[in-house]
Amino acid sequence: MTPKNNIIIGIIIALLVVASYNVDANPIEFVEGLPNLAIVVDEMIQVEPKYIPTALWAMFETIQMAFIGTIVGVAIALPLSMLAARNLNSKYVYAPIRALLAATRTFPSILWALLFVIMVGLGPFAGVLAIIMYTIGFIAKLQYEVIETIDSDPMDAISSIGVSKFQLIHYVAIPESASHLLSQMLYMFDYNVRQTSILGLVGAGGIGFYIINYIKFFEYGKAAIFMIVVLATVLIIDWVSVKIRDKYIIKSQHGMEVTTK
Amino acid sequence: MKQIQMTKNLSFSLISTNKIIQMNNVWTSYDSKNFALEGINLSIDRGTNYAIVGQSGSGKSTLLKLMNGMMIPSKGTIKIDYVTPNMNNKKFKKMMHTIGYIPQSLGLVKNITVLENILLGALPRLNKIQSLFNKFPEHEIKEAIKIITQVGLTGKENRKAHMLSGGEKRRVAIARALMQKPTILLADEIVSELDHVTSREIMDLISEAQKRMNLTAIMVHHDIQLALEYANRVAVIKEGQKILEIGVEGDTIVDFQTGDMNTEEILEMYTDDSKK
Ligand SMILES: Nc1ncnc2c1ncn2[C@@H]1O[C@H](COP(=O)(O)OP(=O)(O)O)[C@@H](O)[C@H]1O
Ligand SMILES: [Mg+2]
Repeated sequence: MTPKNNIIIGIIIALLVVASYNVDANPIEFVEGLPNLAIVVDEMIQVEPKYIPTALWAMFETIQMAFIGTIVGVAIALPLSMLAARNLNSKYVYAPIRALLAATRTFPSILWALLFVIMVGLGPFAGVLAIIMYTIGFIAKLQYEVIETIDSDPMDAISSIGVSKFQLIHYVAIPESASHLLSQMLYMFDYNVRQTSILGLVGAGGIGFYIINYIKFFEYGKAAIFMIVVLATVLIIDWVSVKIRDKYIIKSQHGMEVTTK
Repeated sequence: MKQIQMTKNLSFSLISTNKIIQMNNVWTSYDSKNFALEGINLSIDRGTNYAIVGQSGSGKSTLLKLMNGMMIPSKGTIKIDYVTPNMNNKKFKKMMHTIGYIPQSLGLVKNITVLENILLGALPRLNKIQSLFNKFPEHEIKEAIKIITQVGLTGKENRKAHMLSGGEKRRVAIARALMQKPTILLADEIVSELDHVTSREIMDLISEAQKRMNLTAIMVHHDIQLALEYANRVAVIKEGQKILEIGVEGDTIVDFQTGDMNTEEILEMYTDDSKK
């Protein structure tokens, strides 16, 4: 440890204390609050199995919302990412598109949901719109970054044939970045299921709507069922995406050949 | 001997309307300080199998990029079939459709198949609807299959490009260029990384296509022996300048810059150069 490191650690600790004071973070309150948690846990254990079908149905609705949001969001994000890629466009095209995409990303999905609840009213549709907006901002960014790092050699070779910009994108840029896209879509869907699960907080549909209402009325046992369903679903989706990734993406990147015996 | 050479030169000037590539005092640079090419003069007849050799960094690749319009000279004039190469020039852009260019890295699209890569050469012939729906006309697919047979890739049509050997990848790049129905074929060190036998297979393939289609082939090489074996003419580039232009006339090597025919001396000059 050099004296310089000690000073840096000292400064970090000082900042931590000041910030904790500012946000009223008090460890004593946390410890004093533990018995409350015990009450919640105790009530949660008294789950009411007759709510399981409702929970599953709500989860199914949530997954459908996430699915529509992901697919439509990606469909809109793709052309935007082509316009935002610096290696395909002039500054006058990519700069405004990037600014627009950055703006959509500054709002978390819950704020988008709030906005759309005001626009189209309570319900899942507002949630779907929120997920679409969020997906556009994220997938477009991930995708234009991929496009900017694709190999310039095929791009140069094919553009030297004198093809159109559209052909260059369609026949070189998209195939060269496609394997990343599938992986990003899986990730986004996974993420969107979690996001959609909380959009109910602002009345934008999905399973979160039930959870927040039961919690509001101290019905922790009912809330628990719904939370367990969310947890199980997220784990399953995670597991399935790993399988899909292994099968289609890892293989195509390493160029393994399928051997048939 | 001198006499023969002079009549030869005369005959060349008589058919000068058939110069497919003309470079006049061409200078280029990538940055403001150094010139990659310094005062290049070149004149290539239609239908020639032309080679450019030189050490690494001498400016060979730059020379090719000037010929397909990917770069423009900072000084001097270039005419490709009497048109100034420039991507923004409509007439030249149309010409690019029939200039096959194989960069040193080959420029294959890795995640698509051999057939799909080769069909890219036909892209300029598709209309907007066809390219939107990825619909190549039947006769283009037939043409691609014919070329696949010619370059010896039968059976590998549906293999992904990244799953091919070095020699096979080069065959795909050649096939893509042939799919362009080219009048000019530019290839940058296409055999430099290959073993002896495969190099010859690839060179034979190009030579055969060049003769059959009466192409003007301009190939950059590392190895001057190989260049002399296949080309009608070889330009030697050193530090951005053309120091020699030689050709094979029967058993002798002719220096076209001076008209001298001194096999030993010329061979020594280049051998030294490539050994450095
Ligand atoms: N993209 C580039 N940016 C800057 N300098 C370059 C670039 N490409 C080539 N050069 C320089 O131009 C000169 C000629 O390069 P190049 O034509 O690639 O040579 P060769 O193909 O004979 O090896 C070299 O000095 C090289 O460093
Ligand atoms: Mg080079």
